Amino acid sequence: MHPPRERWVHRRASIWTGRSARGLALTYFSLVVLIPIVALITHAFSHGAGAWWSALTQRESLSALRLTIACAAGAALVNTVAGTATAWVLVRDRFIGQSVVNALIDLPFALPTVVAGVTFYTLYGPHSPFHLNVTGTWIGITVAITFVTLPFNVRAVQPLLESRTFHAEAAAATLGASSGRVFRTITLPALAPAILTGTGLAFARALGEYGSVVFISNNLPYRTEVASSYVYSLATSGQVDAAAAVSTGLLVLALTVLASVNIATRRLARSQ
Amino acid sequence: MSIVLSNITKHFGADLVLDDVSDEIPSGSMTALLGPSGSGKSTLLRIIAGLEPLDGGRVQLHGRDVTTVAARHRQIGFCFQDYAPFNQMTVFDNVAYGLKVRHVPAAQRRREIDELLGLVRLNDFADRYPRHLSGGQRQRMALARALAIKPEVLLLDEPFAALDAQVGGELRVWVKSLQRELGITTILVTHNQSEAMEVADRLVILHEGRIEQVGPPEQVYDKPATDFVHSFLGPLTTWEGESYRPHDLQVGPEGSGLDARIVDVIRLGFEVRVVVERGEVTTWVQLTHHEARQFNPMVGSIVAVRPR
Amino acid sequence: MPRSSRLLRIAVLGYVGALVALPLFFVFQQVFSHGLSTLATALTNHEMDKALWLTLRVALVAVPLNVAFGVGVSLWIVRHPSKLTHVIDTLIDVPLAVSPIVIGLSLELAYAQNGWFGRPFAAWGLHLMFNYWAIVLASVYVSLPLVSRQVIPLLREVGTHQEQTAQTLGAGHIRVFFTVTMRSITWATAYGVSLTLARVIGEYGAVLIVSGNIGYVTETLTLNIGNNFENFTPYQGFVGAGLLAVSSIFVLLVLGLARHRERLRHEYRP
Repeated sequence: MHPPRERWVHRRASIWTGRSARGLALTYFSLVVLIPIVALITHAFSHGAGAWWSALTQRESLSALRLTIACAAGAALVNTVAGTATAWVLVRDRFIGQSVVNALIDLPFALPTVVAGVTFYTLYGPHSPFHLNVTGTWIGITVAITFVTLPFNVRAVQPLLESRTFHAEAAAATLGASSGRVFRTITLPALAPAILTGTGLAFARALGEYGSVVFISNNLPYRTEVASSYVYSLATSGQVDAAAAVSTGLLVLALTVLASVNIATRRLARSQ
Repeated sequence: MSIVLSNITKHFGADLVLDDVSDEIPSGSMTALLGPSGSGKSTLLRIIAGLEPLDGGRVQLHGRDVTTVAARHRQIGFCFQDYAPFNQMTVFDNVAYGLKVRHVPAAQRRREIDELLGLVRLNDFADRYPRHLSGGQRQRMALARALAIKPEVLLLDEPFAALDAQVGGELRVWVKSLQRELGITTILVTHNQSEAMEVADRLVILHEGRIEQVGPPEQVYDKPATDFVHSFLGPLTTWEGESYRPHDLQVGPEGSGLDARIVDVIRLGFEVRVVVERGEVTTWVQLTHHEARQFNPMVGSIVAVRPR
Repeated sequence: MPRSSRLLRIAVLGYVGALVALPLFFVFQQVFSHGLSTLATALTNHEMDKALWLTLRVALVAVPLNVAFGVGVSLWIVRHPSKLTHVIDTLIDVPLAVSPIVIGLSLELAYAQNGWFGRPFAAWGLHLMFNYWAIVLASVYVSLPLVSRQVIPLLREVGTHQEQTAQTLGAGHIRVFFTVTMRSITWATAYGVSLTLARVIGEYGAVLIVSGNIGYVTETLTLNIGNNFENFTPYQGFVGAGLLAVSSIFVLLVLGLARHRERLRHEYRP
């Protein structure tokens, strides 16, 4: 009994191609993502943790963070309800033009943020055809964020409605439950993990939103300056380390949201 | 094309999946690798195919050592349990795949594929996609695809497991006759012992990575080499401290043997099971339909049980 | 049809119409609001045309790079899992959570002349900031996970049996890859490619920082739109926006088609 000492004839070449391809991928990934993140963190803490903390807790910084979180949360809340309702109508209803509407939902993913930004500015700003001027207010910011994040909520829920919950709902109906009751007790719990995921992704995305928000907000410091605008103003005024500090704060916040949503979703899914 | 397996050993992590497995599979035979889940039979099949490396031992195809040869050069046909259809290609293109790899010219390809599709009775489905086919049809397509390359060995991994009783039954009969006609050395992996006995002319019983017995179906059934083989190949029942096959026991009128009381009579159409109880021991006896009609066992009556 | 359902339908259509359809419609309304001759002049605006050309040149490099990376890394993560791939799998989604401004800042900190890597790179004559390559880098960063997020779940679902069958039929690795693997993930890849393209030509915040926004040289179409609005020439901005809106509609069509083909795959499973 001899263990085969030679490797397979053709596996030798493919093993080495595999190894160099992986090395290439890793180099690419490091160059594009890892090295910049490390540079960011280094600059953020270049004057110590104290300086980092004080940059993060500057009045202007806190005000920007508060505003961003509030608008993101507001938009996320609206879209949690509206997104689920939209998914329901797209899956369970039948009407003409349904596929067009379905395709339209992806528009905020496909459309450049700056196009959305200037359009909202023109629609709901000083030259609004509806005479509705919400520039320089949190309303304008929230509307823009709602636009940008709608697809997250809809697309997270849609696949589940298409396949998973249908039979359970039918079973509940045969047991005599009204459609409202079925929705409350069967559909919603089944959708809960997906709704949570969609909202979490939407919220994390909204925290860093820039292009769609920067025009309608007017960037008034302490009033309508979102976190990303604040970082931009720090960066362009030479306060690069402070910009990096606030950036890392934003980054940690977004990653925490994603991680908690991940954990919560898994726990929810397990309990079903 | 005979296959010689010498001392094959395989680990998956810390688990020893195949332990010094050796066998010689005669050319033109239909061998069934039979065993419970986890016995290593699928792994062994994949090692023979070259889809899985082994840790120790040798595989020889018709005298040629192929242990270090990749799957694509072994000239074997392999059918997976899920049929692995190329979903993005038509049935015709699926079957054509191996021929295209071998640069068979288009006209000849077409001729051979039409012949194969005729063999598996899928001519009308040539331009359909696998998702439009039933399970049995996909299996036949997978077979045609494997046969297209004129393999010297055909390996089938649980080919009938996902099919319903009727379709599976028909396909088994058909595959057996096809194999006889073509004479290709074929190995079939299954956990279903009646399927193995129906189709194969040679059984290799695997248990926990080791070969327990090798031989033709009747021999393995009647003269099991180990307790495992005995219990795996057929039902076992205990009477008076000894193991019997239920059909090796019979019932007779009270007094002609050891007495027991009938607790249940289960009629399965072709066989009738008479469940009897003697003291603490419950056992069952298998009668033919005819015997049951003649004897007419009734629940509650006392009968005598004895070996035939 | 129960009344509550119809009410819901109207409410949802109203919401989607006002929030999503209206802005899109408005862009085109603005584009055509000044008549066709003005539109023609605006379309031939030299600065915008240079910006459009730059955007296309960036996409020409950034999109194939990310598609190759996305497909490759997906195959690696799914077919040869290890602790390392688990880490990569988690990290690869990071660009989705990071603000584009932060992305731009981190790139600048790393690769500007006085940056960490910028300094040694500059010594070798490699300049990665405030130029074409900076924009490519930023575009690649923001769209990094878009292809793999589509391909990974599909690869997991498809499994390896088809590829192994192709091997037994005599195919070598390259042939197996192109005739079996790639064909099984075609529409998922198409979906990812469309999202990547949309993201690359639509990126604003990150490109704003790393490009330097130098007119005619490092000004992409999105920057051009923003600049036009800042400089009180909104009509020119809307013409650029209209061009991007048209490309977005193409992207939506491809996404819809890809989703439809993927749905077909799941039918007829007896």
